Amino acid sequence: MTRYLEMNAKSLLTNPYLIFWSIFFIEFWVFMWAYVFGNGIPPIEEAVRAYTAMGYGNLLMLSLSGACITIANSLLFSSRSVRFVTKYTKLSPSRFLLENILSSLIALLAVSGIMFISVFLVFSSKFGMFPLPTNVGGLIFSTFIGTFFIYAMSLFMNLVIVILRAPKSASFISFLPLILGFTAYMALWIDFGVASYILPFNCIVSVCYYFFAGQSPSTGNYFAPGEKTLVDINLALASLLAWAAMLIVLDIILLKKMRGIGVEEMRMA
Amino acid sequence: MSHLIVSKNVSVSYRWRQDPVLKGVSGTFDGKFLILGPNGSGKTTFFRAICGLTNIASGEILIDGRSVEGIYASTGVISTNFQEVYTLIGSNVHDIIRLYTDLADGDSDFAFKVIDDLGLTMDLLRKRKLNELSAGQTRIVCTALALALKSKHVLLDEPFEELDPARKGRMVKKLDEYEGVILANTHETWLLKNLQEWGVFFMFEGILYGPVSVRDLLKAEISFADEPGALLRVRVADKTVSLLEGSGGTLLTSLENLDKIYELAGGS
Repeated sequence: MTRYLEMNAKSLLTNPYLIFWSIFFIEFWVFMWAYVFGNGIPPIEEAVRAYTAMGYGNLLMLSLSGACITIANSLLFSSRSVRFVTKYTKLSPSRFLLENILSSLIALLAVSGIMFISVFLVFSSKFGMFPLPTNVGGLIFSTFIGTFFIYAMSLFMNLVIVILRAPKSASFISFLPLILGFTAYMALWIDFGVASYILPFNCIVSVCYYFFAGQSPSTGNYFAPGEKTLVDINLALASLLAWAAMLIVLDIILLKKMRGIGVEEMRMA
Repeated sequence: MSHLIVSKNVSVSYRWRQDPVLKGVSGTFDGKFLILGPNGSGKTTFFRAICGLTNIASGEILIDGRSVEGIYASTGVISTNFQEVYTLIGSNVHDIIRLYTDLADGDSDFAFKVIDDLGLTMDLLRKRKLNELSAGQTRIVCTALALALKSKHVLLDEPFEELDPARKGRMVKKLDEYEGVILANTHETWLLKNLQEWGVFFMFEGILYGPVSVRDLLKAEISFADEPGALLRVRVADKTVSLLEGSGGTLLTSLENLDKIYELAGGS
């Protein structure tokens, strides 16, 4: 590994935009989940565990999406640098991607840890208890896969902006992961059915829920009473991995193809 | 193998159906060359094309016999002083220099020495990010970094702009001492007398002319006629401009910069 890994991780961990979007912005939703949405949850361990699992999955997804906006945006503004270093330094496109992923994962996993502590403290305070995840290793694994997917998607979208030389679309496209993250919220009220396997954000929530609560979530419409179809976790996990793998391959191809956009061009757009 | 950049009929357009910025540029660069041209003539775009930082509509660029498009993860091939290539992370200048010299197997001590010689303190480098420096300071840091990467080919975009006269003199000396191919573009003609061993290309309206030696150019005068014995003939604002000795015209080196040639062309 080169010095880039360490320096990029340090740079991301101290990035004020990343801290705001992935932590402070999401803290508001942590309180909403605990004190507004969670008012009807009975103080029974099983119910609180299921609700906490649902809350953690959704909040983690939003938090990581917010963090990825910053990471992908920073790559967008340094696209000419990325092009230069992948041609004339030791960092080939795939090695750059690997080191960028690893340094980003360090920052994103730190964000995930903070989110867990935050959910633990706020939910404990609201419900008077905090049922611990049933499978900590599985939860860390699902957090890792979710983080990896959101990173790959954010990078893909920003590389598309660079390839198409469409910096005017940058602010909208950069926020797309966060927007898509919020649309996955709709599963709280709508049953997505088979689509919940195709939509990667729903898969992240499902997988996190499963490892936290120890049972499969429904394909949607969580708050409505009655019988529900449960998510096949293996299928959701396979879908998420397939999405992440496909996007990473596309990222490598686009990284080789793109020429970069100048910082001035980005600022003027 | 000698160090060589070859440009074969290179054209570049930024937008579809837009007039090309570079119009079939061909040239061979195997030493130290200045590319002189007014602002907006395509010099910077040409350097971006050589680095592979912009799409080439047609033609080809070869670096030591390899197409620039196929070069990846190759240290010591090309470096440049474009600020936009040194923005990989948002750290202070000191860390940026350490990062890039590490990635390219360069020499960070050399960069710090050049920067120190040109009057910037280490304290400043530790406290400021690249975009927090003045234009002149940024130019010094990026040029020092380009030299410190120890590449065979160094492309310097307006390395003297925004520098005060004393620093310009010291920068000229640094470039003259560098071992390797240097292409430096500028619209300033005053420095010709300081770089007499170099070659010169001219770029006007996206077309490259030359090379000629600096020694020959020092005595060249500008004539707005198609002179048969001219050292070089270029097209400027739909007029042919000849550079030759003894024409009785304005001495090229007496122009403050090459933008003035349009004023002269308008008045001829």
